[in-house]
Amino acid sequence: MLRSRIIPCLLIQNKGLVKTVNFKDPKYVGDPINAVKIFNEKEVDELMVLDIDATRENRGPNLEMIKNLADECRMPFCYGGGITTVEQAVKIISLGAEKVALSYSALNNISLCQEIGVIIGNQSVVVVIDVKKKKLFGGYDIYTHNGTKKSNWKLNDLISKLEEIGIGEIVINSIDNDGLMQGYDLPLVEAIREKCSMPITVIGGAGSIQHIKDLISKFKTIGAAAGSLFVFKGKYKAVLISYPNREERKPIY
Amino acid sequence: MEVDFKICSNCVMDTTDSKINFDEKGVCDHCNTYYSDILPKWHTDERGHRALKEIITKIKKEGEGKDFDCLMGMSGGIDSSYLLYIMVKKYGLRPLVFHVDAGWNSQIAVNNIERLVDGLGLDLYTEVINWEEIKDLQLAFFKSGVSHIDTPQDHSFFATMYKFASKHNIKHILTGGNYSTECVRNPLEWMYYQSDSIQLKDIYKKYGTGKLKDYPVTNILWHKVFLPHFKKIKLIRPLDFFPYNKDEAMKTLVDEFGYQEYPQKHFESRFTRFYESYWLPKKFGFDTRKVQYSSLILTNQMTREDALEKLKHPAYDPKTIKQDFEYIATKLGISVEELQSYMDAPNKTYKDYKSQENIYNIGAKVMRFLGLEKGGKR
Amino acid sequence: MIGIIDYGSGNVQAIATIYKNLNINYQVITKPENLGKADKLILPGVGAFDATMQQLIDSGLKDKLNELVLGKKVPILGICVGLQVMGYKSDEGDLLGLGWIPGKVSRFDETKIKFKPKLPHMGWNTINDVQNHKLFEGIDNDFGFYFVHSFYFECEKEENILATSNYGGEFTSSIYANHIFGTQFHPEKSHGNGVQLFKNFADLKLC
Repeated sequence: MLRSRIIPCLLIQNKGLVKTVNFKDPKYVGDPINAVKIFNEKEVDELMVLDIDATRENRGPNLEMIKNLADECRMPFCYGGGITTVEQAVKIISLGAEKVALSYSALNNISLCQEIGVIIGNQSVVVVIDVKKKKLFGGYDIYTHNGTKKSNWKLNDLISKLEEIGIGEIVINSIDNDGLMQGYDLPLVEAIREKCSMPITVIGGAGSIQHIKDLISKFKTIGAAAGSLFVFKGKYKAVLISYPNREERKPIY
Repeated sequence: MEVDFKICSNCVMDTTDSKINFDEKGVCDHCNTYYSDILPKWHTDERGHRALKEIITKIKKEGEGKDFDCLMGMSGGIDSSYLLYIMVKKYGLRPLVFHVDAGWNSQIAVNNIERLVDGLGLDLYTEVINWEEIKDLQLAFFKSGVSHIDTPQDHSFFATMYKFASKHNIKHILTGGNYSTECVRNPLEWMYYQSDSIQLKDIYKKYGTGKLKDYPVTNILWHKVFLPHFKKIKLIRPLDFFPYNKDEAMKTLVDEFGYQEYPQKHFESRFTRFYESYWLPKKFGFDTRKVQYSSLILTNQMTREDALEKLKHPAYDPKTIKQDFEYIATKLGISVEELQSYMDAPNKTYKDYKSQENIYNIGAKVMRFLGLEKGGKR
Repeated sequence: MIGIIDYGSGNVQAIATIYKNLNINYQVITKPENLGKADKLILPGVGAFDATMQQLIDSGLKDKLNELVLGKKVPILGICVGLQVMGYKSDEGDLLGLGWIPGKVSRFDETKIKFKPKLPHMGWNTINDVQNHKLFEGIDNDFGFYFVHSFYFECEKEENILATSNYGGEFTSSIYANHIFGTQFHPEKSHGNGVQLFKNFADLKLC
């Protein structure tokens, strides 16, 4: 039986790992290489690493760091942040990543997804969409640049377009739920699941294994990503990497 | 002057400790210090139990109404893990578990901390040291050529813990330090005082490339004099008050919490493992296992024959050492060749850099005079 | 010495790291004339059937591989599309495959897959090693391997099916014929199971 994927998502800022709340107040979490090594030893299903300032700072991906991280991964590794050209994407795959994640660069130039997909394969192209609830009348706005700039794209239009182009996966990131550890935005996921048939991974809000279980039991085959859950522990938000082992995972899927 | 190799007839310390001396029976001064200074004053029977109870009562009283009554440093290693278990289960203390992440945690350590904390229902607080800074400091230590290159990690553990206790006015810090497995200490020549901030700063000044802004620096006078005597913040080693047998402790932890064993002491940090099993023996000829095994021999937890047998093989795993070496280099942001060049460079000692050694010497004399500290480093 | 073929497709780096950590002698090979130095070969693969076959043809690897694998019986392990090209042809493309193992590559029937997303088959799935072969010794079948594909190999002969998995029905997830092996899943991305499989392949005694 195919299992859903439980995916730790790590954010990088200034070469260090950070964790945010509502995309703000980054708290320093430590060195990426050691964290990735530990997650690898914990045999995580997949790993996602996003450089959250690359676009805002107008710089490309840190290739040396990506290689060092990929070297530690005996599981699929997705990297995102600052990828704006086909060459960068190809290089990142050749360094050992399985997938490349685009956010602003895809929204800014949707055909970039196709161009990259043609070379590395569609299944390796991931688009990350950061969304925030609209203040009035329901619905969601899309944001880029680490939650600071509102995009002109309408969520439904974007999903349709990506489905039309054909990409590997979309990652829906809830800015409202980010870091709060109160659960995923299930209605949001439902709306998106209805709209398309691409693989979906959800991130933003997971605070317990139960939240992941709820997501998986509702949507059957889905990617459940989390940051805080696998990196913080307890009421003092102590930094400690955790992830359910093989036995503990069985009842979750 | 070439010193002939000689090994103690009682334990396994030998002349790789250049300050060692032997009595007429061939017994070394580490053993004799233990027998004369430590053993007579180390009580794990009724006397120890009573003394500990007194301390515990005090801790509980002062902690009434607060979220926690003491601070416990936890590395994930067996000593601190077992201590945590006993203090909570047997003595009913409510510690805040304190962990310092210097960037080298092994998966086993992280897993063990999780199991203990969850299993005992405790709160955990972690301090994550700024990796870019400690990385630079670590490289500075490599470049300095000294043998005590584990100082950046060690120093940060104590500095962070003391600062936290001072800030939150927590009067009691419990640590897993103990005579049972540590009555023989690493010679100063092998591992100089990790708390000497003058030495740390001097080495960083000469070989560091930036500034230490976030890295926590402590000071021997501050935490050994000011904190205990003026702020009344005391460091306690409960494992010295009752019989502590390593094997039994391990069995208990495995059975109760699913604790995972480490291949050797200090293997909860990837760096310490590399440092003690490979760097120190290879570059300096110092094998810390001799110190650890000698402690276990003196406390009847290991036979001398067993220790000698184990010492016949290298402390590192020849099958994985190449990968380990590469990992250390990669993590420090340097090439394998550069790391090797530090290995090949001339050996230096702590005397080649500024230090507060004289203060330690005075302090140690005072402590011993007052009967406050037994044994100690030399 | 294990020869990992780098023809521009697949996770060569990951496979190399695995053999490096296992302390097993390996070499990344790009030129056809160097293939002969290896005792066993690994053919990784990511992407489309036609693109992969074209790369094998253009680089001269196809002819040399035929000579070594069919002629000299050099053991080989194909991964993902590296397995698929071992068949006659594929629904995905127009080119002919290497034809080493009788069978063709078909697309999953989406109507048989219950939940969205239907394709690609992506994620961790269990395997059933139907022949109890040494290649799968020490593998935790329940933990399984990582898959990402929309096409699968349909063997003409049952004896070539080494392992099956389930996705909208049972399908072949690993094939073999004497010294020729293939896995649809990615052992280089499957943690301990994958490392074990690579080790088993290196240890296989096939003469």
